[in-house]
Amino acid sequence: MTRRPRPLVYALLAAFVLGSAFPLYWSFIIGSVTRQRASQNPPPLLPGGHFLDNASQVFDRIDFWSALLNSILISGFSALSVVLFSTLAGYSFAKLRFRGSNAAMVFVVMTMAIPPQLALIPLLKEFSNLGLTGTHFAVALPWLVTAFGVFFMRQYLVDAIPDELIDAARVDGCSMIRTFWTVAVPAARPAMAILGLFTFMQVWTDFMWPLLVLQGSDVQTLQTALDQLKIAPGQTLTDMALLQAGTILATVPLLLLFIATGRHLVTGIMQGAVKG
Amino acid sequence: MQNNSTRRWRRTLALGAAATLVGGLASACGSDDGSSSSLGKNDTLTITTFGDFGYADVIKKWNDDPDRPFKIKETRVAEWDTWKQTLTSDLQAGHGLTDVVAIEGDAMPQFLSEGASDQFVDLTDSSLDKRWVEYKYKAGQTADGKQIGYPTDAGPEAFCYRADLFKKAGLPSDRDDVAKIFATWDSYFAAGRDFVKAMPKTAWYDASGSIAQAMLNQVEFPFQTADNKIDVENDGLKNVYKTVTDNAKTLSTRAVQWSDDWTANFTNDGFATLPCPGWMFANVKSSAPKVKGWDIVDAFPGGGGNWGGSFLAVPKTSKHQKEAKQVASWLTDTEQQIGAFEKAGAYPANLAAEEQLTTTGKPDPYFNDAPTAQILANRAKAVPPGVPYKGDKYSDILGLLQTAIQRVDEGKSADSSWKTFTQAVARLS
Amino acid sequence: MTDHHDLPGRGHGGSAVLDRGGPPRRPRDPGPASTPSWRHRLSRWDLKVSPYLYVLPFFGVFAVIGLYPMLYTGYLSFFSWPRFGTAHGDAVGWANYAHVLQDPVFRKALVNTIGIFLLSSVPQIIVATLVAALLDMNLRGRSWWRMSVLLPFVVAPAATALIFGSLFADKSGLVNDVLGGLGLSPVHWHGDRFASWTAIATMVNWRWTGYNALILLAAMQAVPRDLYEAAAMDGASRVRQFVSVTLPSIRTTMMFVIITSTIGGLQIFTEPRLFDTNLQHQGGADYQYQTLAMYVFNTANSAVDPYPRAAAAAWLLFLLIIGFALLNFVLTRALQRRSLA
Repeated sequence: MTRRPRPLVYALLAAFVLGSAFPLYWSFIIGSVTRQRASQNPPPLLPGGHFLDNASQVFDRIDFWSALLNSILISGFSALSVVLFSTLAGYSFAKLRFRGSNAAMVFVVMTMAIPPQLALIPLLKEFSNLGLTGTHFAVALPWLVTAFGVFFMRQYLVDAIPDELIDAARVDGCSMIRTFWTVAVPAARPAMAILGLFTFMQVWTDFMWPLLVLQGSDVQTLQTALDQLKIAPGQTLTDMALLQAGTILATVPLLLLFIATGRHLVTGIMQGAVKG
Repeated sequence: MQNNSTRRWRRTLALGAAATLVGGLASACGSDDGSSSSLGKNDTLTITTFGDFGYADVIKKWNDDPDRPFKIKETRVAEWDTWKQTLTSDLQAGHGLTDVVAIEGDAMPQFLSEGASDQFVDLTDSSLDKRWVEYKYKAGQTADGKQIGYPTDAGPEAFCYRADLFKKAGLPSDRDDVAKIFATWDSYFAAGRDFVKAMPKTAWYDASGSIAQAMLNQVEFPFQTADNKIDVENDGLKNVYKTVTDNAKTLSTRAVQWSDDWTANFTNDGFATLPCPGWMFANVKSSAPKVKGWDIVDAFPGGGGNWGGSFLAVPKTSKHQKEAKQVASWLTDTEQQIGAFEKAGAYPANLAAEEQLTTTGKPDPYFNDAPTAQILANRAKAVPPGVPYKGDKYSDILGLLQTAIQRVDEGKSADSSWKTFTQAVARLS
Repeated sequence: MTDHHDLPGRGHGGSAVLDRGGPPRRPRDPGPASTPSWRHRLSRWDLKVSPYLYVLPFFGVFAVIGLYPMLYTGYLSFFSWPRFGTAHGDAVGWANYAHVLQDPVFRKALVNTIGIFLLSSVPQIIVATLVAALLDMNLRGRSWWRMSVLLPFVVAPAATALIFGSLFADKSGLVNDVLGGLGLSPVHWHGDRFASWTAIATMVNWRWTGYNALILLAAMQAVPRDLYEAAAMDGASRVRQFVSVTLPSIRTTMMFVIITSTIGGLQIFTEPRLFDTNLQHQGGADYQYQTLAMYVFNTANSAVDPYPRAAAAAWLLFLLIIGFALLNFVLTRALQRRSLA
């Protein structure tokens, strides 16, 4: 097992990674040529020199910076909220005993099967009624705590915290919430980081819900702002070069975050595994 | 819209309600104090438009004028389809909408129907009777004569064509000479067959759907009878369907309008002609900025037709209905409509604006110096008023028909596609 | 539950330290005579109530954004509600469900959804398992490889649809160009039913394979290395080790991956909607890639009784997903039994 694998293994992996990276590269190519070139046959295979032109058009047409700020605020708030509440609930399910705990856990998992469309229309009406449409909070509310998060934390915490630690804390007279902070949270940290990052990415890339609740308001996220690049006289515009440049601009912040924390994330996933 | 402090207060209230986990629908349903509150200089009246109405500059002008009693703020939404979803749910909820909303022309009949029209302010003002071209003005009224929407733009149709490709194919290419090609649909299709024989790599027109739309705009009762009974088995509609599907293989690019492939065809000589309502000009220019040879003919097969054009309406939820009506009227007034035409190419439904554009309009160098405003004014005169009749399900059935034509473009037989179409239409009742 | 939903690399979960309602262990050295009972009571109360308090936020939020809309949708599905009406109309019994079930478009959407789901989940899980196996080896630059397979996850589904939409454009797309260069005839990515499913499944696979590979990798890392050594000593080849040691050891994680991708796959919406060239968002002119989630959305925008009919369709979709999840569960359980026997 300690033997280094054969070159074939690297070749296969490299092929997979290239396949993963190519669509992003393609997006950059299209985003860096003129609109005319983008729709010509044969398609360009190398980046052109117009990325900055296209990008400056994006900045002209949409309020990129305010959308970026909104995306950061909404995704960040959701990620914090999901991590906090999921860890609390996951801890409770994993380590505390209470009546109905098993049934409740099954229920949590089952809620993952609910298609968002089932709730979409009434939810939109509900939010309209509450006067919440067009607010940051409306985008974040469905993301305050997720079934996936609770399930994920529960699975992690079952083994990550030795029961004796909790007992010891209790014996020392710690209240339940103190026990949670001093015992559960430190142990849960790697999983919290992963859950936080995943949630951040998911909220960042969410499209349909923000589009519907934010339409016609000043508040836009990056994804809904990009949709406004299609605004044109008459019908919608498909300026591929502009749209792809916008896509790249909206993806770069997430990419940077990913590169900055990715190692941590990956080792985090693995850490849990090594112990198990 | 409410001023900031009430808004914040309402939001807090709403958060409270959400936090108690109950509330929901019971709590809500906006306060109905109608048009009572008034706007101060620093308050804002809000409007939502979709696509580009070309209002940015004129609104800026209003806001820069210190004598205006309040400010205007426009929010733009990309697509009518998704905007309609939000518009509908906000209408039902009783708040969340801006003071003025834009409604797409083909969908207007839905909002004029009983139940829906009650949710809008009656904008009737007899002093405006002669302001707009009649067919657009009427299209904003309910059956009992309430004015729900003020017309913004109109879409009188001309034809755009590639003079250079016409020449290559041995067809006349001069603006006046080509008019006879565009005299009737028969002459149009006949010329098309000659064209593709000479130029087999280029299609005659941009999309089957756009020709269908152009022809449909001349059918008096395409989908519904005058009493809104659905009837899709009429000769007018069947003739359009048959003509378009018969010619799909030979004359059409068979690309769907607005798709990537359709856009690409502008630059790679994909087609030679395209039905061109005023708002399409800007699309041609931006899709093919470097292509030389586009021209516009002052003729349209079978007479004339109107494609598109929207309305401004004031939902009853507005707290400033009087001011909203004032703004809707101001935006659709002559000067502003000229501004919108210059900004976004939306050809005004406003008569005085049309007239003024005719006299002041400059020839457009992109279109080989075609007198665009003059052409559109002539085309507007050729539009048969009240045709096509748009019943309450007009846009629903139109969508199904366009889908049926796309099926044939993609290789389904015309008969089976028609059958699927009629089945789907039957499910609309 | 615990048996089958364990997350990556976590063993089977035993749980529970604190006995329900039992006496608190060894009360800490009692202070003044009056306080202990007060403190004692507080502590017992704390012990009893806290677990509920901690899970409350989830159920609270769920009540607002999940349960309430869901029940409301269920209620609505038995009424009529004309377009633009301000309130629902008469009760109509099961008529909305009947309408949906008799709709040929619904049936088509059902087949499409299952088709796209199979094309996106089966290859995805197989490839993810293989990639995980490769990543499980003693690679140079391990973290780097692991990170790079997750790259597509930073791209939003809307952007994914945009990128792949242009790659798969029928006439001007790169994929058809490459096919043409190889002397093959172009594929009607939007027109042909199977081709459109493939294109949509490709987007899903692209975005999620790496993610699932990492989850499976985590489980593989937890397999005790001595199992492999024992197998190697018995003369088992690498492939044989993989089949008889690795796969059985990651069953529970596999189950998690399968169930989550089933749920996600059957709810697919954004990718096909944005891939669509049909202006009415019908999922292709012949409804060839309209999914059930799109059907629900379109129905909510249709001419007659939009909400109630969409509500009925949404409930049918929910039942379908539950059905598939249960099927997965039962099948895997049966397989496990057989492999244990």
